[in-house]
Amino acid sequence: MRAAALMRRFGLWAATAGLLLWSLGPIYWAVMTSLTAPTDLVAQPPHFLPPRITFEHYAKLLGASSSYLGTEVQSVWPQFSRALVNSLVVSMLATVATVTLATFGSYAFVRLRFPGRDLLFVLIVATLAVPAYTVMIPLYRLLVSLHLIDTYLGVTLIYVSAFLPLALWLMRSVYQSLPLSLEEAARLDGAGRTTTLLVIVLPIAAPGLIASAILTFLSAWGQFMIPLVFSPTLATKPLTVLIPEFVTKNYVDYGLMNAAGVLAILPPIAVVLFLNRYLVQGLMAGSGK
Amino acid sequence: MNMRKVLLGSVAAFLMAGVLPTRADEAKPYAGQIITVLFPPWTTLPKDMTDRFTAQTGIKLDLQTLGWDDIRTKIVTSMVAGTAPADVTEVDWSWVGQFGAAQWYVPLDGDVDAAVKADLPTDSIFTFDGKLIALPYNNDYRLLILNEDHLKKAGIDHAPTTPDELMSDAKAIKAKGVVAYPIGLPFSATEGSATAWYLLTRAFGGELFDAASKPLFTSPDSPGYKALAWEMAALKDGLIDPAATGLKDVEIQELFKNGQITFDVAGWAGNLSVYTDPTKSKVAAAAQGALMPNVSGKTRTFGLPGAAGIPAASQHKEAAAVFVKWMVAPESQIESYTALGNLPTRTSVLQTLDQDGKLASGKVLLEQAATVEPLFKQGTPGWYPQFSSAVATALNQAAKGQLTVDAAIKQIAAGAEDAQK
Amino acid sequence: MLTRVSQATLPVGAIAQPGRLRERVPRNEQWLGFAFAAPVVLLMAALVFVPLGLTLWDSLHRVDPMRPGTPFIGLKHYVDLLSDTQVRQAWLNTGAYVVIAVVLETLGGLGAALLLQRVTIGRRWLLAAVILPWALPPVVNAIVWMWIYNPSYGLLDGALLRFGLISAPKVWFNDRVTALCLVSLVHVWRMMPLTAVILLAALQSVPRELYEAAKLDGAGPVQAFIHVTLPLIAGGLAIAMSQSTVFAFNLFDEAWILAGSSLDTRTVLAQVYMSAFQNLHFSYGMALSVLVMLASCLVSLVYVLRVYRETRYG
Repeated sequence: MRAAALMRRFGLWAATAGLLLWSLGPIYWAVMTSLTAPTDLVAQPPHFLPPRITFEHYAKLLGASSSYLGTEVQSVWPQFSRALVNSLVVSMLATVATVTLATFGSYAFVRLRFPGRDLLFVLIVATLAVPAYTVMIPLYRLLVSLHLIDTYLGVTLIYVSAFLPLALWLMRSVYQSLPLSLEEAARLDGAGRTTTLLVIVLPIAAPGLIASAILTFLSAWGQFMIPLVFSPTLATKPLTVLIPEFVTKNYVDYGLMNAAGVLAILPPIAVVLFLNRYLVQGLMAGSGK
Repeated sequence: MNMRKVLLGSVAAFLMAGVLPTRADEAKPYAGQIITVLFPPWTTLPKDMTDRFTAQTGIKLDLQTLGWDDIRTKIVTSMVAGTAPADVTEVDWSWVGQFGAAQWYVPLDGDVDAAVKADLPTDSIFTFDGKLIALPYNNDYRLLILNEDHLKKAGIDHAPTTPDELMSDAKAIKAKGVVAYPIGLPFSATEGSATAWYLLTRAFGGELFDAASKPLFTSPDSPGYKALAWEMAALKDGLIDPAATGLKDVEIQELFKNGQITFDVAGWAGNLSVYTDPTKSKVAAAAQGALMPNVSGKTRTFGLPGAAGIPAASQHKEAAAVFVKWMVAPESQIESYTALGNLPTRTSVLQTLDQDGKLASGKVLLEQAATVEPLFKQGTPGWYPQFSSAVATALNQAAKGQLTVDAAIKQIAAGAEDAQK
Repeated sequence: MLTRVSQATLPVGAIAQPGRLRERVPRNEQWLGFAFAAPVVLLMAALVFVPLGLTLWDSLHRVDPMRPGTPFIGLKHYVDLLSDTQVRQAWLNTGAYVVIAVVLETLGGLGAALLLQRVTIGRRWLLAAVILPWALPPVVNAIVWMWIYNPSYGLLDGALLRFGLISAPKVWFNDRVTALCLVSLVHVWRMMPLTAVILLAALQSVPRELYEAAKLDGAGPVQAFIHVTLPLIAGGLAIAMSQSTVFAFNLFDEAWILAGSSLDTRTVLAQVYMSAFQNLHFSYGMALSVLVMLASCLVSLVYVLRVYRETRYG
């Protein structure tokens, strides 16, 4: 019996190691590549650990000047920093707007009764099945006529319309799991609906709110298709669009490309590491019911 | 008395202080403006060039580079939306038909005088409906670039002059074990692959379309067909790297610089300056230009010049015009050539470079230059980009073994018909 | 059993009728409900439903920004789409992605969820590691994996060569099947965490007592899994699989970055993008996107109905 238990233990450890290797391996590889000198990158067979660590790729991205095929050129930092700012601003705006609308809207769909409530909710959540490009082209022409292409407002509106259904769904699960008695008690005390929501419900629903916010932020940060069309210039171009441009431009500079990729995944990694609990809660809640 | 002097002195100083800035302003009317310029990777201007421009004119440059194939999409989506992708963008010879018809670029006739226009013979390609919509700065045309060392090691003493000779030379080089894949041709679904096929069609003595834009490459004995068959035979014989299906023309150039291929078949004329630069290329001493092989013995090639234009939706048109004119100024052209391999478009500059002995493989370059013709005599048609993309897709599939030469040709012909609808 | 509260507009103070409970909905609650829901409804209407209608309408016309006029052409685009070989290939590719993705994500996600369920020490960190691929921008994933797949210097060929599994570096993207598999792999790497989390939630909702009971009945671990676990997580499985399907249908970033416009790996969404934004045939692209939406909705509907049937008794 001890042997069987030990085998099971070993199996568990092996499986865990495998899962970790699968999940984290490519990221480790990207980081290693970004710290490897160009000459070592083309060595055969590939090294699992860089023979010597170099920061030259990061220097090319963040430094005062960059280089292209041996020629010293203007720094790409202005473009990189601008794209970084754009990513942050748009992701934040979209998150705040989505969560606010979902908080109030979902409450209405769950606790308040009005004509057409259920039908509207089903319709809105059903849009999750509509692929992005089905509405992309008329949206494009609509925003063109409103002069909202390449503006923060335009892109934020599109993101909100894309992420709102999931946020509504999530907040609905959260509200439904809260006991009615709390709100009943508040009502008996004479509090209005809105006050009840803000003072009693929200503090308890806070974890769900945070989970919603995290999911929206991560989704907005990782967007590619939408800003590819709606953010053509650096005025609003996010990191996710800028980095593939580096790829087409620096076709053999893999160290540089991986360095750019590593910089772009730092915020999501930070979110997952520190806000892990809320994220999982959110994913689990959103997947139920 | 002293007070008077002091007062007078200060008034004079005050007046002078008021006068001097005006005079400086006159020289730099657009000082302080920032313009964005969008170019392909080979026009990533060196830092001292861009710094010099800013010092001379006070205009700050925000230089953005995008892969060539992505620039057109970027321009199109921006212009359709009414925003300018940048204040100055690359305008390729192949886009003139589409962009000119859509009136997306500011006419530059008023910005250049007749003398400069005469010095730029390729500007006719960038004239649409009588208006000059971009100034050519990159005089790209194609010739055969080869690695002399590899040829010597295989016992070959002269450059091939016909496609058959090119293939047998490559076989000899491979047999001797000099390199694994002597011929460099791209096969990814990008423009560079398509233009290589056009070049080889010319090498086999033919054209792509007749005067009525009907395909001339559909029958098995036509030059276009033979050119495609030649490319596929070279691939099958192991003369071209199978990984070429994922490589663009610029990546093939990297292979040449590393000494991994012998023949840069669709070599860019200007690239010789980079190939022969020991700081940038490992084969600097061995890179040589040669006339494009041809079945008839008489070499032919075509020109694919690149130009700089100002989108109509730009917010800084005047400052942009200053930049565009600066791009075709003689000093800029020389520096762009030596640092980046962009062959100057000004005849006067080419002659100066040749006289100074700074034109790499100068003799061959100039001889080939005399045979340059545009791909479309009547001007690039608006359907060219879609046709070219169909060609690249078919080439890519044929190279992967998914289409026979026959099927690929049929697909290209269908693509031509589709594009012209 | 709850009596359904009628949502119909009732006059305030409706009289309770014998045998049926009717609650009156206070006017101010209705108005508040409208007020809270209005911004959401307006936004979705303006940015999703109206454009959806426009797409349907425009797909029946010829809308081409490079050509004047927008004449009505009926179903011509749809007919052309059926005979367009490139579109057909894109459908096949997308179908392949959906099948590969759903199978691998469900199996892998289930395995990961079972493992997470068992692990007690450091589960929080293991979970964070598992979720990480899902949180990253898909574009970056594609770039990272592109480097791994590089035939000359990449990790994949390098490792295979070292272990003697291949004799020379293989250009994976030359072969259509391997190209599809490699692109799917990147997508699966990203989406499997979502399936794992959903299934983990489902697993955790299975009461322990059932497992005890099964053990008492003499069931081994495999039998317990088949007879206890699977039926009870069926709902979660259905949701996970429908999510996998929808996301695989919408695959764009990975295929685009890894192989560009190559026809081998082109998805229908990439075809829509190319038709609309590269060839500027807006209405053609819109017609295709309508077909994609219908296909995606149909497949999701299958799952939704399944889930509805499963959870009705749950």
